[in-house]
Amino acid sequence: MTDAIEVAVTINGRGHRLTVPPRRVLADVLREDLQLLGCKIGCDQAVCGACTVLVDGMPVTACTTFAFELDGRAVTTIEGLAAGGILDPVQRAFLEHSAFQCGFCTPGMILSVKALLARHPEPDERLIRQWLNANICRCTGYQMIVEAVRTAARMGPG
Amino acid sequence: MDGAASPFRTPVVALDGPDKVTGAARYTFDVSVPGMLHAKVLRSPYPHAGILSIDTRRAEALPGVVAAVTGADAARLPDPYYGVAIRDQPVVAIDKVRYVGDMVAAVAAIDEETAYRALALIDVQYEKLPAVMTIEAALAEGAPVLFDTPVAGEPIKLGGDLISLKEPRPNVLCEFGYTHGDADAVLARSDHVFEDCFHFSRINHFHLEPHVNIARVTGELIELWSCNQDPFVLRSDIARIFGRHANNIRIHASYVGGGFGGKSFCKMEPLVVLLAMKAGRPVRLCLSLDESLLTLTKHAGILMLKTGVTKDGRLTARKSEIQLDGGAYSDASALTVVKTGYRITGPYRWDAVATRAYAVRTNTVPAGSFRGFGGTQASFASESQIDMIARRLGIDPHDFRCKNLLAPGEPFRPGDSGIDSDLAKGLDEVVERIGYRQRVRSSAQGHKARGMGLSIGIKDGGGTGNHAQALVKLYSSGRAIVSAAAVEIGQGATTTLSRIAAETLNLPLDWVRYGAIDTDLTPLDNGTHASCGTVVTGIAVMRAAADARAQVLEFASERLGCTAAELALDNWTVRRGNYAHPLAPMIAEHYGGAGFEFIGRGMVKVPNDPKAPLTAASLFWMPSWVGAEVEVDRETGKVQVVQLVVGADSGRSVNAIACRGQVEGAALQAFGQSLFEELRYNGAEPANATPLAYRVPLAGDLPERYESFVLEHGGPGPFGAKGIGESGMLGVAAAIANAIEDAVGVRVTQIPFTPERVLAAIEAAR
Repeated sequence: MTDAIEVAVTINGRGHRLTVPPRRVLADVLREDLQLLGCKIGCDQAVCGACTVLVDGMPVTACTTFAFELDGRAVTTIEGLAAGGILDPVQRAFLEHSAFQCGFCTPGMILSVKALLARHPEPDERLIRQWLNANICRCTGYQMIVEAVRTAARMGPG
Repeated sequence: MDGAASPFRTPVVALDGPDKVTGAARYTFDVSVPGMLHAKVLRSPYPHAGILSIDTRRAEALPGVVAAVTGADAARLPDPYYGVAIRDQPVVAIDKVRYVGDMVAAVAAIDEETAYRALALIDVQYEKLPAVMTIEAALAEGAPVLFDTPVAGEPIKLGGDLISLKEPRPNVLCEFGYTHGDADAVLARSDHVFEDCFHFSRINHFHLEPHVNIARVTGELIELWSCNQDPFVLRSDIARIFGRHANNIRIHASYVGGGFGGKSFCKMEPLVVLLAMKAGRPVRLCLSLDESLLTLTKHAGILMLKTGVTKDGRLTARKSEIQLDGGAYSDASALTVVKTGYRITGPYRWDAVATRAYAVRTNTVPAGSFRGFGGTQASFASESQIDMIARRLGIDPHDFRCKNLLAPGEPFRPGDSGIDSDLAKGLDEVVERIGYRQRVRSSAQGHKARGMGLSIGIKDGGGTGNHAQALVKLYSSGRAIVSAAAVEIGQGATTTLSRIAAETLNLPLDWVRYGAIDTDLTPLDNGTHASCGTVVTGIAVMRAAADARAQVLEFASERLGCTAAELALDNWTVRRGNYAHPLAPMIAEHYGGAGFEFIGRGMVKVPNDPKAPLTAASLFWMPSWVGAEVEVDRETGKVQVVQLVVGADSGRSVNAIACRGQVEGAALQAFGQSLFEELRYNGAEPANATPLAYRVPLAGDLPERYESFVLEHGGPGPFGAKGIGESGMLGVAAAIANAIEDAVGVRVTQIPFTPERVLAAIEAAR
């Protein structure tokens, strides 16, 4: 068994060379090694979606993604979404609609919406609801999140 | 108050918003203390067993393990038990385990993985005992008992001739009794008497941030970084359990990643402290969500109602017997029983009432606080039966309710406060929005039928005889810190309480910051529960801000050589007639140095009242108006909620968008519980106590049309505010059940309304 694997990965636009044990998951790398604490771990089994981050633009659950899978890939976390302090349209839309309460699901939710709008810039109500099935929010009742997604879609990629 | 001009000068912005959308918000989950170890808990595989022996030597010998604790360590504590009023839950199992998931031992190690591995090396010898898994089994003659001897604590104190008993019978934790008038005599005279029985299910809070605590013990000082909703309640419990004075207990709170009651009152926190003491190092215990599912639930229950009515549709009397499944330990059951029993009469006028309610001990996950706190159970049973009676009498359920509703100002029960809302108006709003008068049952359309149901849930809010304290600190620049211990749990306390201070001080909202919560520094608060933050903590904050304002004006009047009454405070400028005097230079000139802080103090105590049934008049009332339209498939029993309209009364919204969020969020929790969500038992073990199998509502489950509204009828809080956090939870289940009957003519009296249950009811009626 290999003790450690070398991984070259881009995280929020910056290149990192990491040496990770084979069983180490992305969520632990982000939270413990890089102090990117915006990646939240809820269920730790790819159900709740709180730990969602983007890998090459696709949403993945960081709690079940092995770090070694990331060699040569680009990871975006919530900390990397606002460029130079300017909030992403999805973040602005979430603020405008107060589409958060406790906020624990919010980073994962926002990144999931980011991925939705990248693939479907004009999602209809049905698609928005279906897409959000990957992210549990226990607080809001989802409606304000759905409204934020519609607003973010209108804002465009920003 | 509805439609009155806004009392607010500046718009609301969510002050916690930027942190939450950028990932900068820090939760207890994110806290790291230098040198901290990580803990894991060994849990019972049996529902009921004696512990013959525990051997932790192999676990302690594992490299990386620093300490292990068991019931032997707990038994040496000054007072190893906790629970609200009745204290029967040990810090960690002593001698016996009482449910699958009960905490048997814990290990602290250099990392979680090592701690997990160590658990497997702990050898526990059990002596299996027969278990009672249901209320019926626990109450059966000769049933095995969970506790052989009386436990510590007292029953909940109540006023008048109400009954409140601790452990009156085997496997009964507590009993509540309330009577007004002679219910038997009134029922005997009534034209109709209806007896119905309802079954309520067990659900989990499923807050996404798991229970997480870090403990550090330094000499006499015990520190906890805790996700608990009630830092000061926790402080009291830790002080009592460890025999220390409260000034040697320090609790730090951060943002809380959801609670809904699941993080209120003491739970695993003392176990973390015990580990830290034994390890001599700080210890972090973060439960998995699976473990949270084994920590606390909402009370399942059986509610039997006997209700009298005249032939023209006037309610006369109600007798109720309510059995709540309290699970293995007390937690908040004693209080929940009182509140459920008290609220079972609903928002109606009665000639006589007789209620008995009790919590039954079973070998299941303990039940405790959950948004609604007994009000959900009571509203489901009461509003289901009200609807059934109306339909049996051939009266429209809306008209039947309106005929019997309490009027604004009419006391909920004799000796209690008056209803501070227009209940009929809210119901009419639902009727209008959902199109109740125009509804089409469309039963002609094959095997699917539509129907609509209404309901009005209600509960008292703000806690009973509650109190809070607060500080408002004004810096030389006019920037302010609100220091209060209502924890930001998603309800928007940060923004709401800051706005109350900002408006009182005539300052921009973003000049105010809600301070960090640390029981060493923050004034006492009785806990973030019972929808009390805006009103109770809010009044304390408003008074603190007013006190600070008075100090500022006093200071300025001395500088300007006038009386404070001549001055007004506006955006950190003092106005006297036509002249404006900026405060910052005035303070700098007088104090120099590092400037000055005006420190305003505020507090509130809701008066005790020996004549009030619950020992204090209820502070305010939280109505929940719900309308549901369903489509029921007669062939499969599947219920589709087509429309859900939910309304509440905020008194006056200090944070309108947060109020909407509270109503919609609570209602969707109730919606999930109504249709599918349930923590089920399969014999002795929970069948689905894991996130993979425990299904909560997703965005895709939203009703086609989901609408909320908030009325503003005034209330006792700042600017006329009331609490609203639990409202949305109350009326949803009954409204859906009522809609199902409207659609297909059958009644489902047990939630969730699964296709199996609905189909069984349809087939039984054929």
